[in-house]
Amino acid sequence: MHEPGQEEKTYVLNFGPQHPSTHGVLRVELQMEGEFITKAAPDIGYGHRGHEHMAENRNYQQFLPNMGRVDYLHALAYNQGYCMAVEKLTGLEVPERAEFIRVITAELNRIASHLLWVGAYLLDLGAFTPFLYCFDDRENILDLLDRVTGSRLTYCYYRFGGVPKDIDDEFMAGCRAFITRLRGRFKDYDDLVTKNIIFIKRTRDIGVISKEQCVRYGLTGPMVRGSGIPYDIRKSEPYSVYPRFDFEIPIGERGDIMDRYLVRIREMAQSLRIIEQALDKLPDGPIMAEKVPKRIKPAAGEVYQAVETARGEFGCYIVSEGDIKPYRIKLRVPSFGNLSILPEIAVDTLVADLVAILGSIDVVVPEIDR
Amino acid sequence: MLSERIKKALALLKLEKVEGGDYGKTGYHVEAAADPGQMPEVAKAMLAEGCFLESLTAVDYPAHFTLVYHFASYEELCRTVVHAKLDKRLMATSITAVYPAANWYEREVYDLFGIKFAGHPDLRRILLPLEADFHPLRKDFGATASNA
Repeated sequence: MHEPGQEEKTYVLNFGPQHPSTHGVLRVELQMEGEFITKAAPDIGYGHRGHEHMAENRNYQQFLPNMGRVDYLHALAYNQGYCMAVEKLTGLEVPERAEFIRVITAELNRIASHLLWVGAYLLDLGAFTPFLYCFDDRENILDLLDRVTGSRLTYCYYRFGGVPKDIDDEFMAGCRAFITRLRGRFKDYDDLVTKNIIFIKRTRDIGVISKEQCVRYGLTGPMVRGSGIPYDIRKSEPYSVYPRFDFEIPIGERGDIMDRYLVRIREMAQSLRIIEQALDKLPDGPIMAEKVPKRIKPAAGEVYQAVETARGEFGCYIVSEGDIKPYRIKLRVPSFGNLSILPEIAVDTLVADLVAILGSIDVVVPEIDR
Repeated sequence: MLSERIKKALALLKLEKVEGGDYGKTGYHVEAAADPGQMPEVAKAMLAEGCFLESLTAVDYPAHFTLVYHFASYEELCRTVVHAKLDKRLMATSITAVYPAANWYEREVYDLFGIKFAGHPDLRRILLPLEADFHPLRKDFGATASNA
């Protein structure tokens, strides 16, 4: 790194907080030696809204809209995690049809999140065209979800005991059309991105994470699956009606950025499979449990419910003291744990690679900050 | 069975409580209670069984804090919860040396509850501004009109 006799110089570089590739307000303080990073210290909390504090001052229903605003890209998984935790705490049974609708919409939302990631991530790496393709596809999902949930982002669609609005034929036809469309697009993505030599050079063997690091840092989601650990809550800790569907958990081998990219691309295809099966098997019946109390007042106790979001494990930990307000809610968010490994894997990389590595973690900063 | 192995490993540490959990009701396979000072040993035992630290948080009760540690495994479905009651005047013990994941979780608990962790390499606030003079998840940080 240094010419002989040249004076050694380190300097500090502020990466963010206002930088397009931080995907939100995230600052990483870098100590540099030339182009190489010797220390990376993420500085988070710019978007801290105190969701957990809000939870203690609201009743259970009033906290529901907050769940669309933690991870705004996969809000329905948060809806699901929180609703399931409260349902477990109160013993509410969700009708089968509602579970199917939850799975269909949550999987659509997962694909939308992955599509946004692919587009925005390639933009980070300097490829502009895939961004347009991805957003074009994602727009279809937003229209579909808008139809049933009433919003394009920050969904608040699930309720304790079911869902408030049934899906109709038009929605189902739209889903099927989208499945066909996206399946036809995977080849385009492959040709455009996966086989692109610049992309391969930027991602192969960069930002490698070992299995052992996964355990020590408690990583979840595509971050562990890229490293070859088939850990997906939908399979590892089955919830809702996921056990009834046939799908695979794609994993990588080397644990580099390329593997994490491939895991996400393949996951979209698996989500399509789930949606297709769910549409085929969709049972008739009610979409809300019959007796949902107006005031949710669980008995004293605690519960931990995990669900798989697009970024990894969301764990909803609720402590109830028998009141209409939760005594404590802890949101175990995947990006928080996933980002905490950055200081370790960023050392001795180039600044340009840091952009690639940080992007490959797929952080949603408001989720980390809560 | 991983849960049996964990129970056996934790039993050796002479904790206050180690028992099976009601998974259908709480989501736990193993429930344990420990002294905060025993947590590094507990963490070492959990790491030896291949578990990862899923979450670390605290709850503020009138008489004491309770630190809540969740561990899970990539290999087998088994969630372990460890509750550690902490006297409000005392410090907790850091497990960052065992699980680097705990580094940020402990900083968060310090930030939001004001609980200090002995042996933590870098105990600074993490979510709130460094100059903040309050710990919002303490129950005495009340819900006023502006922050409710």
